[in-house]
Amino acid sequence: MIRWLPLVMLLGCSTESEDKPKTVEVEPAGPEPAVSPPPPALRRLTATQYANSVSDLLGDELILPARLEPDEELDGLLSIGASTASLSPLGVEQYEDAAYDLAAQAMSPEHRDRLVPCEPMGPVDAECADLTLTPLVRRAWRRTPTADEVDRLVELAGEAGDALGDFYGGLELAIGAVLQSPSFLYRMELGSGGRLSDVELATRLSYFLWNTAPDDALLDAAESGVLSTPEGLAVEVDRMLDDPRVRRGFRNYIDELLHLEELKHLSKDPEVFPAMRSEIGPSAREETLAAVEALVFDRDDDFRTWMTTRETFVDSNLSMLYAVPAPEREGFGAVTLPSDGPRRGLLGQVGMLALHAHPVSSSATLRGIFVRETLLCQLIPPPPADVDTSIPEPSPDSPTRRERVEAHLEEPTCAGCHQLVDPIGLGLEHFDGLGVYRTHENGALIDASGELDGTTYADSWDLAAALRDHPGFPACMAEMIYSYGVGHRPEMGEQDYAQWLDRRFAEVGWSMRTLIREVALSEAFRTVSEVE
Amino acid sequence: MGWHRIGGKLALDRRTLLRGFLGGVAVSVALPPLEAMFDQTGTAYALDGILPKRFGVWFWGNGNRPEYWTPTGEGVGDAWSLSTTLTPLADVKSHLTVVTGTDIKLPNDAPHGSGAAGILSGGGLIDVLDESSLVLPTIDQVMAQHIGNETLYRSIETGCAGASGKSFNGPNSRNPPESSAVALYDRIFGPTFREPGDSTVDPRLGLRRSVLDGVLGDIDALKSQVGASDRARLEQHLEGLRDLETRLARLEEDPPDLEACSRPVAPVDLSDIDGRPQLRESNQIMAELVAMALACDQTRVFSHWFCDPVNDLLFPEASAGHHDLTHNEGGDQPQVQANTVFCMEAFGDFVRTLASIPEGSGTLLDNCAVLACSEVSLGQTHSIANMPILIAGSACGRLKTDHHYRSLGGENSSKVLLALLQAMDVPLSEFGSEEGLVNTPLSALFA
Repeated sequence: MIRWLPLVMLLGCSTESEDKPKTVEVEPAGPEPAVSPPPPALRRLTATQYANSVSDLLGDELILPARLEPDEELDGLLSIGASTASLSPLGVEQYEDAAYDLAAQAMSPEHRDRLVPCEPMGPVDAECADLTLTPLVRRAWRRTPTADEVDRLVELAGEAGDALGDFYGGLELAIGAVLQSPSFLYRMELGSGGRLSDVELATRLSYFLWNTAPDDALLDAAESGVLSTPEGLAVEVDRMLDDPRVRRGFRNYIDELLHLEELKHLSKDPEVFPAMRSEIGPSAREETLAAVEALVFDRDDDFRTWMTTRETFVDSNLSMLYAVPAPEREGFGAVTLPSDGPRRGLLGQVGMLALHAHPVSSSATLRGIFVRETLLCQLIPPPPADVDTSIPEPSPDSPTRRERVEAHLEEPTCAGCHQLVDPIGLGLEHFDGLGVYRTHENGALIDASGELDGTTYADSWDLAAALRDHPGFPACMAEMIYSYGVGHRPEMGEQDYAQWLDRRFAEVGWSMRTLIREVALSEAFRTVSEVE
Repeated sequence: MGWHRIGGKLALDRRTLLRGFLGGVAVSVALPPLEAMFDQTGTAYALDGILPKRFGVWFWGNGNRPEYWTPTGEGVGDAWSLSTTLTPLADVKSHLTVVTGTDIKLPNDAPHGSGAAGILSGGGLIDVLDESSLVLPTIDQVMAQHIGNETLYRSIETGCAGASGKSFNGPNSRNPPESSAVALYDRIFGPTFREPGDSTVDPRLGLRRSVLDGVLGDIDALKSQVGASDRARLEQHLEGLRDLETRLARLEEDPPDLEACSRPVAPVDLSDIDGRPQLRESNQIMAELVAMALACDQTRVFSHWFCDPVNDLLFPEASAGHHDLTHNEGGDQPQVQANTVFCMEAFGDFVRTLASIPEGSGTLLDNCAVLACSEVSLGQTHSIANMPILIAGSACGRLKTDHHYRSLGGENSSKVLLALLQAMDVPLSEFGSEEGLVNTPLSALFA
């Protein structure tokens, strides 16, 4: 554990010299506490995991299925919804369509040579089918199939090859069966004796770090027992962390955490927001992903500076909104936002500001809820029913949102929760519903001052620092990365571990890359309880 | 099994057979199920075969302004007139029932979520923070379990503007609606669809069925290794596989010979204009596809999600998103009112489309019951009292039409759902759970 401390010294926020994170007395984390997690649940592949897995399996030049069952979000993450949601009849149908569509592409004359290592002797050739299917099934099902399982598929390929008079047509049916199998669609992380097997652990690691199925090297390591030793596990985890696929995996986590998919369909009224264009949503998503990827994997900075960093990425769409020169003629380039400008950190990004707002206006409540729930892992109860939730329209008496939401804070039934969220959102009122900077609303000067759990701020620049230094923020980030990995939020039997992880995060200088490694190596990550 | 056509090629079930014979000889004894065989003018369907009953849900989110909703007068025909909000339905008034004054009796502890679960399933939520945790399946799926087993699709779900819909088979078991008309067309009227008289059969259908057999076996085997909630999830997966297997088998049979059925023109998907979805236009395209899917007997149950609970869509002319307006527009909320009128215009389009397809001696609409509802009444306060409920079509004469029923005692809304189930010949004597449970239907709705 001590070995990480020098790293802390080296890494401690190199880019925010003018305004450093608060120094914190780091409590030693000590040894990892035991966990007692809830019973295991089957995790159906998310649509992204399905796409990544079939690309790795059959070739990344294949056209991926456009329509799969939409993922359900639960407790803030699709990865948690994937452990509870059922599959609809339409979803079953879409899996069947996708399976045969992909199989047909994979067996087309231009693609099949990379998967079929032999020349078939005729429409039915059991040996060649076996040579094709055995390695393919192992990667698809993330384990070595039994001889019986392979025989059944070879038989199916033969029967279909005979009926259709075409060996590759027969293989299409067999590959279609492989992709509809529960062994492909569900992650079977069930364990025995309270622990995931090495092969199950390989799957959990691979989707956690890469958001795709294990490669052959990881499966080989799992099947040879290497993952049972701490050293062997560390070698594999470090190999995976050094692989570029880890960036894709982390981006997926941020996509889920921040619901960035919604930016693809960002809807704003162009009469209110003349700068609105349909490309802004997708550009804003890319900015958020590129900026956090660079923070974690290029700079490996203190993750708390996600709230305050001025390092970001913009394209021509965003450079106009941010009033900075576009670094590249085409696409995205790195920029350092001005130190005397209005915006910095995640909450200065158009993606967050536009997503947590209405189509025609900002929203102090929606932005405040986002900060409390997503960045601080606090639960804000829904408003009570049968209460008039309206706020006054702009008028000479209440020109800015601050005056208009005051009703929330005066009415006792509303104030309990709105006092927790509205002041945070009011701190972001210098940004309109699209995220464009403004100083006035309806002719009146905007007051963005406030207080976050004991820290006062004058505006969003200071609010960013207050969040960075809020002890709940790194604790929440530690909780969420673990939740993403195991597919549920920590329950009673995992509270000690969650607190330990928070202390480890501090011990490793709030390096997110190192925290991810800690989670992957921890005993908790492979602990499951017995099936009920 | 059976296409409910007298002298048809397919085997008829006992019930159909009985009805067929009785209809054929025009017996004069008045048996309750017999009513189903007569259209509104009392003409027996004997000559053109008995057409199946269909059920649909047409849903809009965020409720209404109750003061502009309730019709004047009550009863049937000239005894009542449409309210301001319902004016767009003037030309289909003779096909409508409006039910006012019923309440959802369940606790309203999740704004929008409790109301949606209550009005659609008669039950509540297991977890008030998880709006997908419905205790009970929604009415469309209860109907589908009973009347959806003879068609290619047990039910179809459609939506506008990316709606997530609220059709559930139970907790965390959503049936996501198709909001792309192109995808819906491909699914129902694409390569697998055969018009009446087309006898070509895809040689791969049998092979695909044996693949499904294998998958069914593997999932069944997996059930013994997992806990109770996973077993329920796998059971849903199995159900979907069995549906698909049955569908593939039916695709090998000759398609039903239905007069009104023809492959519709391939649609296009409409994109937003200046941040506003083309809601009414998309609704019309979906209405035409759904109507033809019913006319071709591809399904007998549908749900159409015009817009979701809590949707913040920019409706035509509106100065803010729909949900935003319900909470933040001042005064009598003229924009919320305009949005609700707009929803009724779209519902009118849907009803007119069903009524435009001749079927038997009437129209497709006569053989339908379409429930139109929202998850709240007054959106501003998330009220679940005095719920807005409309029914279009008579379910083959079983339901009154041109009817305003005003519930004075604040009856349980679940009674409307139980009446609809019974009107569709679903043999249930109770519906809902906890405070939503009822064991008598709203019998005033029956003809």
